[in-house]
Amino acid sequence: MNNPENVKWTRGPAASAAWRYGLALVSVAAALGMASAFIYFHLPQTFGAFALSAIAVTFWYAGTAPGIFAAVLSSIVRDYLFNVHTSTESRILFDLVFLVFALLMTQVVRSRNELERRVAERTAELTRSNDNLKREIADRNQAEYLTGQVFECSPDAVLIIGTDYRYKRVNPVHARNWGRPAESMVGMHMAELVGAEFFEQRLRPFLDRCLAGESVRFEDWFDNARGHRFISATYSPLRSDSHEVEAALVIARDLTEHALSSEALRQAQADLAHTSRITTMGELTASLAHEVNQPITAAVMGASTCVRWLTRDEPDLGEACEAAQGAIRNAKRAAEIINRIRSILKKGESKRQLADVNELIREMIALLRSETNRYSVSVHTELDAGLPKIMADPVQVQQVVMNLIMNGVDAMKEVDQTRELTIRSRLSDDGQLTISVSDTGVGLPQKETGRIFDAFFTTKPHGIGMGLRISRSIVESHGGRLWATDNSPRGACFHFTLPVPTEAQE
Amino acid sequence: MSCNEERKIVAVVDDDDSVRGTLQALLRVAGFSSRAFESAEDFLGSGLQRETACLITDIRMPGMSGLELQARLNAERCRIPTIFITAHGDEEMRFRALRAGAVEFLPKPFDDDVLVESVRAALER
Repeated sequence: MNNPENVKWTRGPAASAAWRYGLALVSVAAALGMASAFIYFHLPQTFGAFALSAIAVTFWYAGTAPGIFAAVLSSIVRDYLFNVHTSTESRILFDLVFLVFALLMTQVVRSRNELERRVAERTAELTRSNDNLKREIADRNQAEYLTGQVFECSPDAVLIIGTDYRYKRVNPVHARNWGRPAESMVGMHMAELVGAEFFEQRLRPFLDRCLAGESVRFEDWFDNARGHRFISATYSPLRSDSHEVEAALVIARDLTEHALSSEALRQAQADLAHTSRITTMGELTASLAHEVNQPITAAVMGASTCVRWLTRDEPDLGEACEAAQGAIRNAKRAAEIINRIRSILKKGESKRQLADVNELIREMIALLRSETNRYSVSVHTELDAGLPKIMADPVQVQQVVMNLIMNGVDAMKEVDQTRELTIRSRLSDDGQLTISVSDTGVGLPQKETGRIFDAFFTTKPHGIGMGLRISRSIVESHGGRLWATDNSPRGACFHFTLPVPTEAQE
Repeated sequence: MSCNEERKIVAVVDDDDSVRGTLQALLRVAGFSSRAFESAEDFLGSGLQRETACLITDIRMPGMSGLELQARLNAERCRIPTIFITAHGDEEMRFRALRAGAVEFLPKPFDDDVLVESVRAALER
């Protein structure tokens, strides 16, 4: 650092020796001049005092060597110009004084130099420290600024809630959601803003878990100043340096549009499933008619039998009654089948209810019996008794069973050997209800096995290719899986699982 | 192999329980004795072909169909007068059945008098 004020122009390697020694000469000369002047004016003063000053000045401003040179010079000047008549002892004494003084000055100068060096060092250190601190402060300010930006500019509602359930800080989005300025919410208790009941029942349980140290996420429909909104919120615990939770960071995202569009998607899927059901049922019209015809035929025969018992020469009322009752039973059976068909054709909200899967399977098998008979398919069931009931939409589950049965029948149409369709239901080890439909038909396509579940993939000449796709989406929307395996010695087997409600698993 | 021993029984072959049951009840009140079979295979396996005077059978069944049963019986030279009862009364099938020797082809639900008369006629052959 070449600060011109710091570098004494008479010191350092840059200053030329000439100046320094020149200063020695000049100061001694000045001392001489002063002494002479004093003598001239008869003022009491010795050269020695002036010489010592000159030596001091030289030491201080020019350094040790010039200072010594000044001391020697002063001694010589004193000896030859001022103390001519003094004794040798006095001269030696004076020389000694100059020597001692010179030595003292050497120490003084050395100390001063050392001091200056240390001060420079310290200054440099302090400057470095200062710079580091400034950098840290700048970094910290930057970080705080960014954090503040995140807080203020986030498109999600961001807020901090203390352990006392009061708002510590809220961002503009949250303020807007509740229709109040952000400042007005600071310090407010949550219950004051959202309502005591809402707070206690819907928010507090999650908040307490968060304040106990858990990261919580939940999503649901809420009512705020913007109306009925679907909000996905996360509560994260904020810890102090002592690692205690001192606040909860809440980030809440408005997913209303997403929820509405996924609702629309669900509706579209339901519509598609419904259309598919209708189409399939349309293909089954002849068989369904036949199926209804059976109990109607039985009812007609029962009524005819009743009439015959009554019109005999010896009427038998008991037999007639029995025949009539049989007719009633069969007529009711016919009505049940019609109702079953009607509920399958109905377009409605997907209604989940507790359902007995085996019952659903049996009903569907009965409904399709004419169709399986038409192609000489024998149907076997291995339905595990005592299966738990599941939460499902019965019509949709039957649609899946219907689809798999129809596929099995189709696969066996070209096969001349025994045509067997087997339907099994059982509870697997992992608590899932598994239904399997296997056939002895042409089997799964070798090359495109994975594609059979794709939309519009079909191996049938007049197929649309949506059946398995829809079946899979129905099964998956219930939380299950649908997959296919080969059946031995030939044919295919389709399995699907439906999860059992946890209470039932216990 | 000829089946010309004394035959008295009316055999009913239908996979539907209610049809079998009510048909048997109807035949009973009409004065016939009948045996019911769940499938064509059961009937053939029963060995009662020779005692069967009349066969009433559905067409569409799992396993062997009614028409196949008729063909099998014809092949065994066991000519049993056969009445078909079926909900699938299409013309082609009716023609085939009658040409193969069926006595009657009745669509379900059928008139009980027609059935009883057909059975009676078959038994008097």
